[in-house]
Amino acid sequence: MQSSNFRLWLVAALVYAFLYIPLVIVVAYSFNDSRLNAEWVGFTLFWYETLFNDKEMLIAARNSLVIAVSASVCATVLGTMAGLAIHRYKLKVLPILVFTPVAMPEILLGVSLLLFFLQVLNLTLGMVSIIIAHTTFCIGFVAIIVLARLQGMDWSVFEAARDLGASPWQSFRHVTLPLIMPAVVAGALMSFTLSIDDFVITFFTKGVGEPILPIQIYTMIKVAVTPEVNAISTLLMLLTLVMIIIATKLDYGVLRGDASQ
Amino acid sequence: MTKEKTKGERITKWLVSGPPLLFLLVFFVAPSLIMIVTSFRYPGEFGGLAPLVAPAGEVGGEYGLTLEAYQFFLSSSLYAEIFLKSFGVAAATTLICLIMAYPLALLIARSKKRFRNLMVLLVVLPLASNFLIRIYAWMIILGPESGLSHFINTILGVFSIAPITLLFSPFAVLVGMVYVHLPFMVLPLYINLEKHDLALLDAAQDLGASSWQRFWRVTWPLSLPGVFAGSALVFIPVLGMFAVPEILGGTGDILIGNLIKDQFLGTRDWPFGSTLSIMLTLAVLSIAGLATWLARQSGGMKYAE
Amino acid sequence: MNLRKLCLLMFVAMLVLLPILSTASGAGKEANTNSTARERNVLYLFNWNNYIAPETVKRFEQSCNCELSQDYYSDNEEMLAKLAAGATGYDLIVPTGNAVDSLIRQGALKPLDKSLLSNLKNINPAYLNTAFDPENKYSIPYAYTLTLLGFNRKKMQDLGLPTNTWAIIFEPRYLEKIKGRITVLDSQRELMAAALKYLGYSVNDTDEEHWNQAKKMIIRAKPYWAAFSNTSYIRELAVGNLWVAHGYSNDMFQAALDAKRTGRNFTIDYSTPKEGGVLALDSMVLHQSGVRTDLAYQFINFMLDGKNSAELTNLIGSGNPNMDAMKAIQPDIARNKAIFPDKKLLTRLEMLQDFDRNQRRLLSRLWTEIKLR
Repeated sequence: MQSSNFRLWLVAALVYAFLYIPLVIVVAYSFNDSRLNAEWVGFTLFWYETLFNDKEMLIAARNSLVIAVSASVCATVLGTMAGLAIHRYKLKVLPILVFTPVAMPEILLGVSLLLFFLQVLNLTLGMVSIIIAHTTFCIGFVAIIVLARLQGMDWSVFEAARDLGASPWQSFRHVTLPLIMPAVVAGALMSFTLSIDDFVITFFTKGVGEPILPIQIYTMIKVAVTPEVNAISTLLMLLTLVMIIIATKLDYGVLRGDASQ
Repeated sequence: MTKEKTKGERITKWLVSGPPLLFLLVFFVAPSLIMIVTSFRYPGEFGGLAPLVAPAGEVGGEYGLTLEAYQFFLSSSLYAEIFLKSFGVAAATTLICLIMAYPLALLIARSKKRFRNLMVLLVVLPLASNFLIRIYAWMIILGPESGLSHFINTILGVFSIAPITLLFSPFAVLVGMVYVHLPFMVLPLYINLEKHDLALLDAAQDLGASSWQRFWRVTWPLSLPGVFAGSALVFIPVLGMFAVPEILGGTGDILIGNLIKDQFLGTRDWPFGSTLSIMLTLAVLSIAGLATWLARQSGGMKYAE
Repeated sequence: MNLRKLCLLMFVAMLVLLPILSTASGAGKEANTNSTARERNVLYLFNWNNYIAPETVKRFEQSCNCELSQDYYSDNEEMLAKLAAGATGYDLIVPTGNAVDSLIRQGALKPLDKSLLSNLKNINPAYLNTAFDPENKYSIPYAYTLTLLGFNRKKMQDLGLPTNTWAIIFEPRYLEKIKGRITVLDSQRELMAAALKYLGYSVNDTDEEHWNQAKKMIIRAKPYWAAFSNTSYIRELAVGNLWVAHGYSNDMFQAALDAKRTGRNFTIDYSTPKEGGVLALDSMVLHQSGVRTDLAYQFINFMLDGKNSAELTNLIGSGNPNMDAMKAIQPDIARNKAIFPDKKLLTRLEMLQDFDRNQRRLLSRLWTEIKLR
């Protein structure tokens, strides 16, 4: 091993450590028998018990799941359509509209949607407003993933189907769709994860009386931090971890935006 | 092979691109326009907005459109300062992320193919944890009662330096920003570095180049598009972030995002909040434009030089 | 793994998870909407943080056979801003006087039918007929708090520092000794009020000259402060990280209790500085967008009952305008001048009044400057 490679390995290891040690600490302290996240006292499942008895937290979890499922379904459908359209047709406007919400700071999206919902739609803020908001910024992510897959595909199969007389819909359904399905599902899972974890946009578009998970966590952090936060964090991490692993098993390229399957 | 624009094809085109287009027009473009209009309105007496037209029978008063909010923005150097500060934090974060991410991305790109996906997954996994949790973790680590704080202050004590607080400081904000955005720098860098043809490096080595020269003259220039892409992916979100300064920052560590949030959820000054948002949007667009231009300039370098 | 099987698995998992969560959080509830609230017996309360004890909530829920759903705020401005941003559906809100004033003038409140409030006679007349709601057409007093200084008695004694003046958070000669161990409230009005009071002005002073004076003093003191904090100071005081905190009397009560319970070797004391301070009378009001007015009246009556009102004070240390409650309040709390100010102290306390929109904008710029410099 050359010395430069060793140095590279060292730096890489340090960066990985930097990424993971804070999370390990959060998880570890969720089992800590102390109200303060200061020193280790003893092992306990008390905070998880508290969590499952915390009615508001459970309602928040349910609300977040409902929102995530709804938003990811809408975003996946619209995002896949967008990805297909951008790939197939030389569109100028759609790519800009699809990708800008992804690139923009979330606060701008949150604020503009708040103003829009209140002034124009006169919509009572609630689950619906959040679902719409989440769909808006997830469409871009799904489109990127699907687009990447489409770009890496071998189009000769599609052309062959058309040459053989299949209508556009038939060739889509029997040729294109199965081929992009991994990307579509990966996009759906990605949207789900993004929706469950979203804080900024939810912060501005949420309504009254309906707790949402990240907002609950935020309130707990700002007001009365107890290791219950650690417990819910650990569980959330587990959930989204499973989602991401499944997403990558379906389509390794989802992480890099290419089609390496 | 040219494609004939048959009627069926045109219908399909609109069927497929229509719904997302419509959705985004309604829920992205329209809200942005509303935000622009709001920045030209008067604030309401009790918060929110004043009506656009005077109620029947009222004369004078403050209704309609105005440049008041923008004038207020320019009324003090304060707001420009905050923008500059936000730019500074974003630049610092981007630089630190670059320095940390590059070796990691390089390592993953040069590793055996079967390990690569796992290593990339390991970089992305922290993103699986809730964004707030990642910030909260640093509250624990940098807190005055934590092991790290004790350790550092003990060392400082040896040199008779007064103890410092790590949390609620610009340092904590920077650490938080870097921590949250690091994976976003690694990924574009990796995507770019993975495509590099290693034969070039071998050739350079054969010609007598040292490992540093090989990096600086071959790898680095080729990786520039990835560098700019990653930088944009870090710089822009950092500009608009408010949660990190709010949770980890001290009294003076407010950035543009905090200011905007305050206008809507504190001062109830919507027109001014919209003005600030417009300014932020312009800043973001310029940065994005700059990054694209730079990427195009550097990406134009051919492989064989 | 077969893709179709995987999708099916995920779908099934989702179907299984949702009902489990629903039953865990109560028997078969549907998504919260205002229309089902009517069938579901839910009262939506928008209240300050830490302003009602879980025990009280439970007893109310049992007595009315309904459910209390709470949202919280830590500053009147935050609450008013959320309402201005279209938050609807709250039946009851507990704003402070100046916020009640603003809400009344906006027409955002339902007038009260006092015939439905049998326990109204329990309220001490001194707290009725306020400037912001003469004749109490819209509001019923809930509790009151003082904004004051809380401190670690042992540390302050060791350092030989005074604890009865705002100077401790504004004067560098004192601040030097406690650098990084102080927090102030993250509230435009409250911090300005403290500064104005220290300088000898009224908390509702709108003279720009006075504001600039206060601003300069605050900026001079800021480097010594650890942070601006509305709620985390409670824990930090109790743990010993903070030695002085600018905050609310009921929060200080909590901190003192926490410190005692965890067996610290110091006590947390709190008192109003000699220059005076802010008195916040928080009242229950009915918001126009509320649905369950009947439950709201039940809640108001419940809190007007001496026993429940006393429980509030005993558990969270809030001031109590209810005469009937006095007999059930723990003696050491009743004697605590920081919670129950006597007549002399009352003369030095002021209530905040709302500013108009131009003053608010100016204050906001001032506040930004304070934060930035």
